[in-house]
Amino acid sequence: MDLLQFARGPALTWAFVIFAFGMTWRLAGILLLKRRPDYSEPRNAVSWPGAIKLIVTRSWPRREFVHRTAFGQTLGYIFHIGLAIVVFGFAPHILFFKGMTGVGWPNLPNAVIYLSGAITLGALIAVLGRRLSHPVLRLLSNFDDYFSWFVTFTPVATGMLAVAHLGARYETLLAIHILSVALLLIWFPFGKLMHAALVFVSRGSTGALFERKGASI
Amino acid sequence: MSTTDIDSKHPLELDQARLSVKKPEQRYDKQGDMPDAQRVETAMRHFVKDFGAVAATYMESCIHCGMCAEACHFYVTSGNPKYTPIWKLEPFKQAYKREAGPFAAIYRALNLKKKVTVEQLEEWQELLYDSCTMCGRCTLICPMGIDIASLVGLARHGMHQAGLVPHELWAVAERAEREGSPLGATPKVFKERCEWLAEENEVEIFVDKAQADVVAAMSSIEIMKYPDSIVATAKILNHLGLNWTFRSDGYEATNFGMLSGNNDWQKEMSMKLINATIAAGAKLLILPECGHAYGAMRWQGANIYGKPLPFRVLHISEFLAETTKSGALKTKPLGKTLTFHDPCQVSRRGGAIEAPREVIDGLGAELIEMKDNKGLSWCCGGGGGVVTIHRADTIRYSAFQIKMKQVDDTGAELLVSSCSNCRQTFDDGQDHFHWDKTMLSLLELVADNLEDK
Amino acid sequence: MNEPNTLGASLARSGVSRRSFLKFCTAMASLMALPPSAAYAMVDALNRAQRQSVIWLSFQECTGCVESLTRSFDPTLEQMIFEMISLDYQHTLQAASGEAAESAREQAMKASWGKYLLIVDGSIPTKDGGVYSTVAGISNYDMLVETAKGAAAIVAVGTCSAYGGIPHANPNPTGAVAVSDIIKDKPIMNVPGCPPIPSVIAGVLAYFVTYGKLPELDHIGRPKVFFADTIHDRCYRRPFYDQGKFAKTFDDEGARNGWCLYELGCKGPTTYNACATIKWNGGVSFPIESGHGCLGCSEPNFWDKGSFYKPLAVPLADNATAITAAALGGIAVGTVAAVISRKHQSDISKEK
Repeated sequence: MDLLQFARGPALTWAFVIFAFGMTWRLAGILLLKRRPDYSEPRNAVSWPGAIKLIVTRSWPRREFVHRTAFGQTLGYIFHIGLAIVVFGFAPHILFFKGMTGVGWPNLPNAVIYLSGAITLGALIAVLGRRLSHPVLRLLSNFDDYFSWFVTFTPVATGMLAVAHLGARYETLLAIHILSVALLLIWFPFGKLMHAALVFVSRGSTGALFERKGASI
Repeated sequence: MSTTDIDSKHPLELDQARLSVKKPEQRYDKQGDMPDAQRVETAMRHFVKDFGAVAATYMESCIHCGMCAEACHFYVTSGNPKYTPIWKLEPFKQAYKREAGPFAAIYRALNLKKKVTVEQLEEWQELLYDSCTMCGRCTLICPMGIDIASLVGLARHGMHQAGLVPHELWAVAERAEREGSPLGATPKVFKERCEWLAEENEVEIFVDKAQADVVAAMSSIEIMKYPDSIVATAKILNHLGLNWTFRSDGYEATNFGMLSGNNDWQKEMSMKLINATIAAGAKLLILPECGHAYGAMRWQGANIYGKPLPFRVLHISEFLAETTKSGALKTKPLGKTLTFHDPCQVSRRGGAIEAPREVIDGLGAELIEMKDNKGLSWCCGGGGGVVTIHRADTIRYSAFQIKMKQVDDTGAELLVSSCSNCRQTFDDGQDHFHWDKTMLSLLELVADNLEDK
Repeated sequence: MNEPNTLGASLARSGVSRRSFLKFCTAMASLMALPPSAAYAMVDALNRAQRQSVIWLSFQECTGCVESLTRSFDPTLEQMIFEMISLDYQHTLQAASGEAAESAREQAMKASWGKYLLIVDGSIPTKDGGVYSTVAGISNYDMLVETAKGAAAIVAVGTCSAYGGIPHANPNPTGAVAVSDIIKDKPIMNVPGCPPIPSVIAGVLAYFVTYGKLPELDHIGRPKVFFADTIHDRCYRRPFYDQGKFAKTFDDEGARNGWCLYELGCKGPTTYNACATIKWNGGVSFPIESGHGCLGCSEPNFWDKGSFYKPLAVPLADNATAITAAALGGIAVGTVAAVISRKHQSDISKEK
């Protein structure tokens, strides 16, 4: 079995297993903790619209906060959107998802993907630089922050290297790229990458609770 | 150090105009004489107890983006990263991950999150009490929608159980538990004041009616420092012709049990009001001009009671708005411009945002909104017990500068709010900075401009 | 006969003109990207060359490699090979059979000891004493070991002898292995492909005859001149891959327009061979041009590397069951963790 076979075979299988196991463990472990009933008289009888509203509107800061947060927020969006274009727009990636779920969708031209990948790498480096230099972020940041950055950066970087045939034979670069994705999947449930799922739970909870009270959302 | 020791080392002058400790120095207050290890144990256990599904979600969701700092008046005016709101919860989060989260067993087995130490808790006392008013601005900015302010309230439970509360706050809370008021407004004092005020102002002030439709509560700050509020309340309720009363078995709306983090005291303090209202057979409980009192009773009261309350709860500003809109409350037009400071716990956190504006509208005054207004307004910096903690004065005065600029920028003639703790904080700030604006009470403004009947 | 046994003499005897001979040498040199002077070196060397003795052993194979070599639209090229070399032993092409054939092999070995080129096609079974493929009662294994002893070099033609090929694929009932798994002390050149391209075989033999050594080989023994680049990097459909235009089925618009076959399982990106440049059947076409993805047949384990129709981006295993089981397991463990937490919390509450 060569490295590429290993990457496409047992490595991905174990990565998926750990990913599925970890995600459900963490979500069940959180969501099944106690919930207290609320006997206060609601200001608004129906809470779920608040959940939806907060989920949507919290994606961009309010006018009063924008000037203090726009830079960091924008950098974050650049790499998230860049990543989305690369992950969901590149034909081989779409085939990866189609192979797993049976669902595919139209792809983007490779040149768009490569440009997006390059921009994503630049934005990720900028984001790391900011985390290392901003006093608040330096205080808050821990292993999770840096390792999550690493497992996000590496697939993009190795994917670009594979496409450019830079550093090793293509099949080796492809294997390393797939292994880096496996690492990302394995780490996902245990660190802050989980925000991809939790964002809906956290925003939704606050939105529903606050809508009930008529509090500012 | 026992309670008596701390009292003699840092004497409190409880009847002074402003509660404070003379010559505050850097210190980590401790109550009781538990050994440190036991303090940590106790704090941890009580941290853990509070993690329901929602709190756990919040603890899991932080992505360390640092945006919450940008919303916090203490960080913004000091530039000190330690005031980052979510950082205030670091030991709380540690406890969660180590003891209550889904991976707790792994965290402990591999020691991935260390046990909280007493030094950490001491260091965090300042962050959880001195530099947080639980104003909730951080909650509004957080991209993950984490209600950081509520988590600070939860963390205070563990700190109180471990005897790690700033001394002044602990002392007033203990006094409230013991005497019924944090500032010495005992039932006896309250009744005496009501008698005296009724006479002085020629107003009927009903106390301890056996049956009434409306029970009104007051805050000790009003009773002791702004007694005109009692008169104003009576005037308005009489003007509306309502069957109302104060009850000496339940009149104190402030809840220092909640502010200091003691669940049992919080419950006892709330139950007094609830039982008194029920005993009077009232269908409406009016809460005074106070911030946290609103959250304590309107949103947490029924849960302390264990079932829906058998009466409505309204903040005085909501009550004034309702009666203004119905036409029952008639005021003479106030031909002035004014700006309104939104009390965080009533407005942003409590949802009674439009009510004061409806009252102002009814007053015929021209409202000039501050640039960041309503739910996005800045905190006065004194809520959540912060104004009682003298060692927090420096950062509170820094934060207050935001408010002064906000108000000055409107160019309004009058400055009004509907919370007596904000009023107290503004008065202290005005004094410190020799500022030219005095905060007025919305309640008193309405009472002073009632149409003659 | 006292005519010289040189290649030049032999060609002249066959009626091959000098012009044709020059054309052949120039074509071979150009094919292998050798400098123009190499063509003259080749003419000179081949003219004077003693016909190279070649022993061709066919083991556990389908004979496709020999068929490929002899299947040619241009008889001149491949027949040239048979003029250049003295093919002393080859099952399919030789006239002799039985003991006469085996004795021809032994004589050639003796006469050219240390100088003959050993060509092998087919894998070598090793299980059960190698009984699954024998010639004249001798197992392939024994015959290889014995014949390799006096060889100057070994050329493993076809993926079977180079890497084990199809017999080596799961479950490999005969214990089939490659030549390089058995012979460790001779230079071995692998010329994989299932089968290899005819001109590739011809080219490397011409090189050996000219220079007396094997051409530069890659890390798994393949001549770099033909196996340095992937099909993907030389494929004429590459612009469509880059534009993101793919055939999704074998008869859709994309297929009819000749778009990239990546989505239909083409293994071009990870397959090293000359198919995209030299092509097949005298340069007429190659699998991709005919509308079918590359199978990767010149790569080790190509049969076991997953379905020919599963694109490279798709995981090899069908993970659905494992993922479902893992998700259910996670829910169970998470529930247990939450229950333990809740119990812990209610114990703390009761303490007071």
